[in-house]
Amino acid sequence: MAPNGLVPNGTAEAPIEVSVVPSIVGINFGNSYASIAEGIAECIANEDGERQIACAISFHGEEMYIGNQARHQLVKNSQNTITGFRNLLGKKFSEVPQAALSVSAPAIQHPSLPDTAAYKVKVLQPAPSPLKTTATNTPAASQVATPRSEPIEVERILTVSEVTTIFLGSLVQSAEDFLGKKVLGAVISAPSWFDDAQREALIKAAEDAGIHVLQLLDDAGAVAICTAAGSEEIPSDRTQLIVDLGASSLELSVLSIREGLAYSLATISDSSVGGDEIDSRLIKFFAKEFTKKTKTPLTVAPASDLLDKRAEAKLRLAVEHTKRTLSASPGAATCSVESLKDGLDYTGSINRLRFDMEVRSVYDKVYARVREVAASAGTDLYDIDEIVYIGGCACLPGLDETLAGGFTENVITPFKAGTVAGGGIGDPTTILARGCALQAQLLVGLAGETEEVRQAFIKGNGTSSVSATSRTIGLLVPQMSAEEGGLGGVWVPLILKETPLPCRRTVTVEVNISGPEDRVGFELWEVSEGVRVDHVKPEKFEDEEDEPQDEEEEELEEVKEKTISKEAFLASLSLSPSNTSKGRTKVQVQAIISGNGAVDLSIREVTKNGLGEAVTVIVGSS
Amino acid sequence: MAIPATLPSLPPSWIPPSEPASSISPFVQRRLIPAGAAYLAHIKRTLNNLTFDEHDKQLEEERKRLELLNADGLNGEDDLGVGDEEESPELLLLDAKEWKKQDHYQVLGLSHLRFKATPEQIKIAHRKKVLKHHPDKKAGASHTTNDDAFFKCIQKANEVLTNPERRRQFDSVDPVCLSLEEDDPSASDFKGQEKDTGLFFTTFAPIFEREGRFSKKSPVPMLGENDDSKESVHAFYDFWYNFDSWRSFEYLDKEVNEGSDNRDDKRYTEKKNKTERARRKKEDITRLRNLVDLTLNLDPRIKRIKQEEKEAREAKKKTKGGMSAAEQKAKAEEDKRKAEEEAQRKEEEEKVARAEAKKAKAAAANAAKKARRQQRAADADETAPS
Repeated sequence: MAPNGLVPNGTAEAPIEVSVVPSIVGINFGNSYASIAEGIAECIANEDGERQIACAISFHGEEMYIGNQARHQLVKNSQNTITGFRNLLGKKFSEVPQAALSVSAPAIQHPSLPDTAAYKVKVLQPAPSPLKTTATNTPAASQVATPRSEPIEVERILTVSEVTTIFLGSLVQSAEDFLGKKVLGAVISAPSWFDDAQREALIKAAEDAGIHVLQLLDDAGAVAICTAAGSEEIPSDRTQLIVDLGASSLELSVLSIREGLAYSLATISDSSVGGDEIDSRLIKFFAKEFTKKTKTPLTVAPASDLLDKRAEAKLRLAVEHTKRTLSASPGAATCSVESLKDGLDYTGSINRLRFDMEVRSVYDKVYARVREVAASAGTDLYDIDEIVYIGGCACLPGLDETLAGGFTENVITPFKAGTVAGGGIGDPTTILARGCALQAQLLVGLAGETEEVRQAFIKGNGTSSVSATSRTIGLLVPQMSAEEGGLGGVWVPLILKETPLPCRRTVTVEVNISGPEDRVGFELWEVSEGVRVDHVKPEKFEDEEDEPQDEEEEELEEVKEKTISKEAFLASLSLSPSNTSKGRTKVQVQAIISGNGAVDLSIREVTKNGLGEAVTVIVGSS
Repeated sequence: MAIPATLPSLPPSWIPPSEPASSISPFVQRRLIPAGAAYLAHIKRTLNNLTFDEHDKQLEEERKRLELLNADGLNGEDDLGVGDEEESPELLLLDAKEWKKQDHYQVLGLSHLRFKATPEQIKIAHRKKVLKHHPDKKAGASHTTNDDAFFKCIQKANEVLTNPERRRQFDSVDPVCLSLEEDDPSASDFKGQEKDTGLFFTTFAPIFEREGRFSKKSPVPMLGENDDSKESVHAFYDFWYNFDSWRSFEYLDKEVNEGSDNRDDKRYTEKKNKTERARRKKEDITRLRNLVDLTLNLDPRIKRIKQEEKEAREAKKKTKGGMSAAEQKAKAEEDKRKAEEEAQRKEEEEKVARAEAKKAKAAAANAAKKARRQQRAADADETAPS
């Protein structure tokens, strides 16, 4: 410290400021890419300007590269480059699958620690500083051997946990550089299939990096927070499908979101489908083009020859850009690699249609998995109100187009809502980090709450289990003229099935009144919902020529329709409106289901002077 | 949740179905994702066994408490009470070219503080406005070319208000204070209400507070209370009769036409401006003097002090002599007579003196004549023999 207590110029330490707004971040720590978001849920770019930071660390000589720079090292220095380490966290070496082909440094058994996965990298140790020379002690007079002035090549063994610590530390450093403040805490995302040992290992690695972990948040939770705010188009009660297509795996969940309260109905994860497969198909396509153009044989994915391997690594880096261009703009995207093989440069382009054709099988796999997850959640695709995408590969519009075919026309997707591009709310690449940042904000605000409340946010706590309704409850206004076979009136769903208890729903609705003796009233029914599938002959309709036709076109086309059938009558309510002059009046209906299942239904008229007298009926508890 | 479509009313023949089910279908057990504000609310409700209404009430209280806490702060940082002012559409349409006509305080959102705003407050207000109105913030939002007009107004206002001299010039002719000055009361406003001391103080106290800002000397004595001591009241009027004001009227100068090369033109305008300033300053001094005069005339304390002084005098006299009224009268008459006699005597003396003076003058004149005659005779004697 300089005299007078002044901080010397150019200090590397982030100044610690006492601010009312605590600096906290959300970290999305994926297997292949990570991202960070700050308190007001904006994604932060690291010092390279990257919002999508590759989870890779590379050692080259005395240097250590972290993030996207490390990915470039995969071309020539792959043996000293570590990727895909997150999924190994908390696993014993014997549990790590060895079969997977590895383009980077392989995980090995730690030489001293039992059953621990580690990486071996070659680094240059900086030369020890020479002995101090003083008037009395010259180097020549010393008995000590002259230290070497060259850096020494040594092998460095890094455990998975150490690698994670280095990486997370660099993420937080980027955030601190951006914010100009010390980061006081973070919420880190974790996949739902992480077991307790993996969670513990992740927390430990983060704490070693000096990060105070506020919570490990499930990916689904981060999404739920980001999308919780309902709007005019998005109802606050909905069923949500989360499609997380990352670089290395596919994860699907069906969430029930009821006024912000979310729980998962079903989850599937599949590590055989992922962005890497899309990459492989893309580089195969470009390799074929290259061979066609230059008559130079190039076989990639998998490549056997060393030269081919290097070319593949170069292509893998280059197609990253191609994929992003394809996601962002409808035109053709180029891929150019200098000196791809035998000193020959390559520049090629691909348009969306061609790309979708190439990766059709991946899309189809995703679609099959989506059907699977919906089935295991006990829902039909028609019951899903909203699709949310996570992960860089989910930015591809072709995927959305493929999936959307199976859902109702008014399913909400970020592509339809136009919130994908430009850091919108539905941007799949940043949604997790933003969700984590929002959660961190919430957790920091809990300082004044009781210990019980704070404990409720820790995984595995009993407070998170709830009972939920199993059938939809709604209002029915009986009508004499209603058609046969229907419900016999106008149906207003009030409390959907899969709503956690206790719950309260209020609707305000206008009612037509024809005369002064008219009464306003409802019947409260429990209904079961289903989807009727009819098989009808498809209309003669010529598909567009470019669309790939299925080889075995089915004779019959499925037509789906939502159905509702009455199950149980619960109660009825009516009141005489006071204000009949305008031909209509407004009523407010409120239903509260308490934790023990008692339904408290009340109806009151909305007048100019506020709310009228309530008429209440209670359906007993079970 | 609101359903947009309207519903029909119940048909007249409707009979509620009998035998309602005793309960709803059995529940399923689920595990909530511990995330989001809704989960927090749910947890609070379940842990504290609150009903929805009770929880709503708590939330409302919490919101009010936070509002109070952040009443004078933005993002938790103290803004020294600058606050946020509404911007009327007219304000946003200001033209920066006409900056002399704009109200700089209003532009910076300081119209509740005006001349009381400290430099720190001006700095904060300016920063707030810039954050809101910087052209970079609006890039692409609208396509009008005049987009940064209000930003220029903000910059101009900041320029004027951060320079102490220019700020004084603007404060001198602050449009809002000028209009307040026009509303100052005149003597006729108080006709028939002289007895209302409350009205006097409520009317004049803010006026002197406002005028006090022009004082070169400080502290400026304020009007004070009805039961102030004689000394403080006198000090007040002393100060205000000798008021030393820094108020000046350069701000209202006509622009010297810079483009013109005509020196005479420039000099003419400058001269006019100078006389105009002097005239305004004089008017201002007169205005203030009239105001103080009016205050003095209406001041119930002055009447009280006079009354007290009179009483004190009388009381003093009473204790001193204990003379009766008749004696006093006689004494007064005697005094008068004495004075008259004195005057008469003086007059006579003066008369005598005047007569003597006349005589002396005449004698002097005669002597001079004589001397001249002798001289002439002597001259004639000298010339004759030649």
